[in-house]
Amino acid sequence: MSRREVRQRAKELAAKYGYLAYMIERYLVLWGEEETIQFLEACEKTPRTSIRVNTLKADEQSTVRRLEEKGVLLEPIEGVPSGYWADFGDRTPGSLLEYMLGLYYIQSMPSMVVTLMLDPQPDEIVMDMAAAPGGKTTHIAQLMENRGLVIAVEQDRLRIASLESNVYRCGVSCAMVFRGDARKISQMGIAPDRILLDAPCSGEGLLPVDPTRKTSKSMADIRFCATREDELLDAAVRVLKPGGVLVYSTCSIAPEEGEYIVDEVIRRHPDITVVPPDVSLGVEGYTAPYGVEMNPSLRHARRFLPHVHGTEGFFICKLQKEGDDQ
Amino acid sequence: MTQAEFLNPVDWELIVSQVDADFGNGVTRRLSEGLTPVKVPRRSIFSVYLVPEEWVQYIRGEMEDFRLSSLGVWMGDLSSDTFRLSIAIVERLANISENELVVADTGAQAFTYGRSILRESVVSISPESLRRGQRVIVKSEEGDCLGLAALSVDASRIDRLSSDKLVAKNLVDVGWYLRRLG
Repeated sequence: MSRREVRQRAKELAAKYGYLAYMIERYLVLWGEEETIQFLEACEKTPRTSIRVNTLKADEQSTVRRLEEKGVLLEPIEGVPSGYWADFGDRTPGSLLEYMLGLYYIQSMPSMVVTLMLDPQPDEIVMDMAAAPGGKTTHIAQLMENRGLVIAVEQDRLRIASLESNVYRCGVSCAMVFRGDARKISQMGIAPDRILLDAPCSGEGLLPVDPTRKTSKSMADIRFCATREDELLDAAVRVLKPGGVLVYSTCSIAPEEGEYIVDEVIRRHPDITVVPPDVSLGVEGYTAPYGVEMNPSLRHARRFLPHVHGTEGFFICKLQKEGDDQ
Repeated sequence: MTQAEFLNPVDWELIVSQVDADFGNGVTRRLSEGLTPVKVPRRSIFSVYLVPEEWVQYIRGEMEDFRLSSLGVWMGDLSSDTFRLSIAIVERLANISENELVVADTGAQAFTYGRSILRESVVSISPESLRRGQRVIVKSEEGDCLGLAALSVDASRIDRLSSDKLVAKNLVDVGWYLRRLG
């Protein structure tokens, strides 16, 4: 398709599906027409609900049994320990007593994969740089068996309340919650073994759960988010312990917030490399989005796409700093 | 900016005396075994947390642009001369203390909505020596810790109450986790 044809077709599809035309233009260039339509159709469907059973509060099987006795249909998510597809029927997933007791956390499948790729170990120091509402913080603590230290940083005062509420509810006792701008984390004087940066983003991957996103963000918003993501990732790289692991993720499908950010940061910091993840879920990251050549190692990044995986869109990349191994 | 402070002995003694008075001598010591109590200032109160001793290095640090909001196990809140246990400590407390009030399903549900406990919901209470005003751990028949309540009547007198009479006043319950989020 010529540039003019892309623009014309984008206008038609934008009108049909209710999007801003610039978004569709990007999808057409990135994926071509057939895949773009598959994506747009997939975004019209709500993803399945999923939960993570919180083994800090009870053993997995007893929680599964309790939920099934209440009529919740559960199906294990392949490759995601403690993760289940969950059908709560007419009930709100967060209304059950088991939820208040912290026996499970309502969490999307890609969000669980982010923490699995981080692979935190007991007794380590792990930093979660944009921690609210606490899904990944509590998952980190669960994988660390509540041993070690999780430093959870969040800038937004109101979101701190949800973060702390979830930390307490899930029985996490190894976390310190700080309010502040994570771009300044070097002030803390801590060199974490692992860092999770699930960066605040434009949310372009949340189209299946938030239809308002079809028209709520401009290209300028994406650029604004990309600048902040770059600054956050740069700050993370600087404080990470030599040999340490860093996982960068966003709930955006925009390469401008995924591959572009990582490509730029590994160019600036030769001591950081993209490493293959231990999980095989998702598809490979892009190495030439919109025809722009990136570092080939970005194929090791993982992408979740609504039309491929039936989930929200996500970008996840595992990086490691040169130096002594963990 | 000061991140958190170690609890001074006077404040700690106040907490020990109040918690032990409700749940038995030595309960606070067992609750805090191997952990250090620290306090984080709020507007008009202090939140008290129990943390591993090796965290001291992080607590003492001065960080201009970061404010420590919470850490470790949230034990409760201290205001002037009153200490209120938090919902986050109830399960740990239940492993140590025998003070418990078991409620039937309907009462359990109402309790998680912030309601107090009426005689008709009470399945059992122990020990029988519990006095009016004393704190108890509220549990479901399945053994789930639902929160804390203050008795409105001596445990030994509960059987004499009619079904609609108040037995214990809700102090904190697991529904707090949802209500806090609005």
